[in-house]
Amino acid sequence: MTKRFLIRPALCIGCRTCELACSLTHQENKKPGRSRIYPIAVGREQWVPIACLQCDDPACVKSCLVDALRLNEELGYIELLQERCIKCRACVAACPFGCSLIDEEQEIIVKCDLCEGNPACARFCPTKALEYK
Amino acid sequence: MKIQINGRWYEAREGEMVLDVLRREGIDVPALCAHEAVEPYGACRLCMVEITHEDWGGWKGNVTSCLYPVEDKLIVQTHTEDIIELRKTVLNLLLARCPNSPEIQKLASEYGIDTTSFVPREDADNCIMCGLCTRVCTQMGFNAISVAGRGYGREIATPLKEAPPDCVGCLACVKICPTHHIQYEDIGTTREIWGRQFELVKCKQCGKALITREFADYLIENRDIPADYFDICDDCKRSGTARDFKKLVHWEEKEEAEEEVSA
Repeated sequence: MTKRFLIRPALCIGCRTCELACSLTHQENKKPGRSRIYPIAVGREQWVPIACLQCDDPACVKSCLVDALRLNEELGYIELLQERCIKCRACVAACPFGCSLIDEEQEIIVKCDLCEGNPACARFCPTKALEYK
Repeated sequence: MKIQINGRWYEAREGEMVLDVLRREGIDVPALCAHEAVEPYGACRLCMVEITHEDWGGWKGNVTSCLYPVEDKLIVQTHTEDIIELRKTVLNLLLARCPNSPEIQKLASEYGIDTTSFVPREDADNCIMCGLCTRVCTQMGFNAISVAGRGYGREIATPLKEAPPDCVGCLACVKICPTHHIQYEDIGTTREIWGRQFELVKCKQCGKALITREFADYLIENRDIPADYFDICDDCKRSGTARDFKKLVHWEEKEEAEEEVSA
């Protein structure tokens, strides 16, 4: 069975180490990329880290008219083929969770790729709010 | 299978074109009309390479790498004198067609051409007639624009040169154009492209706009996406997702974890 990306918001302390790890892992044009994960404050001392949920019936894949998004069966995540993407933003508008993101600076679309099987956010999370196992 | 490029062997997969391997391996060959979202077309002629094979009895040929399928033990040279000369000719012609295009100027100067030896086109625009815009429009299923006319009058146009009825304002043509020729304008929540106006879908919570009403309607109708997915922008949907999850989280876990640490 493929591993699962486990988010336990109760353990999140909102330190944003995951954002930093994500941003530095996804370096594009020799610059830190846009983070694909965001801890969102939902109350006093309460955060919910939000990243792509890798849906079983993904709206992003259905919305892509050039097949730039597809399920990577081996690693169990929705893969964005950057070379195929034509930046029409259909997936950004279609994702019901808001997890297809626009990197305005580089004018590209980005989404969580689980670091192709070794997510940096989970490795660096100090409280195990994020785990990949 | 393996193919040889500039003396080194590289892995290649059945069914791919020589240019696919060149790009994957980061070998610098210019190409303006090739994009992975569409079928290869062979319009710009810049990706020409020399090919030969040990079984071909010394025969060599110059081909567009975007249209040449790989075969086992194919031998490719990307920068022979002939090939460089061919690319220079093409760039010389492109520079005459689009003398004001920064992309063409840069590429030409990389090949040592600063001014074209032909007569530059008068009132030149930046369209190199690569057809990427029309091909991606077809690929997406809209067919709103196409190539019209022949010879000198050949151009990218909408049907009858009027506002295109099948366009949804997705901007795929704008984003894919290698010379940034196709123009559009977003004013507030109105988008104008190809002489037609579109209304952008405004987020019901914050007003941010991502795509046009027509594009959203197309996706709702043809791609089986619920209509309400398009009501709210990505930022507001992320916050909404977090608020929804808040209700499901066992927040007491946090204190338990803290107790574990202190114990």
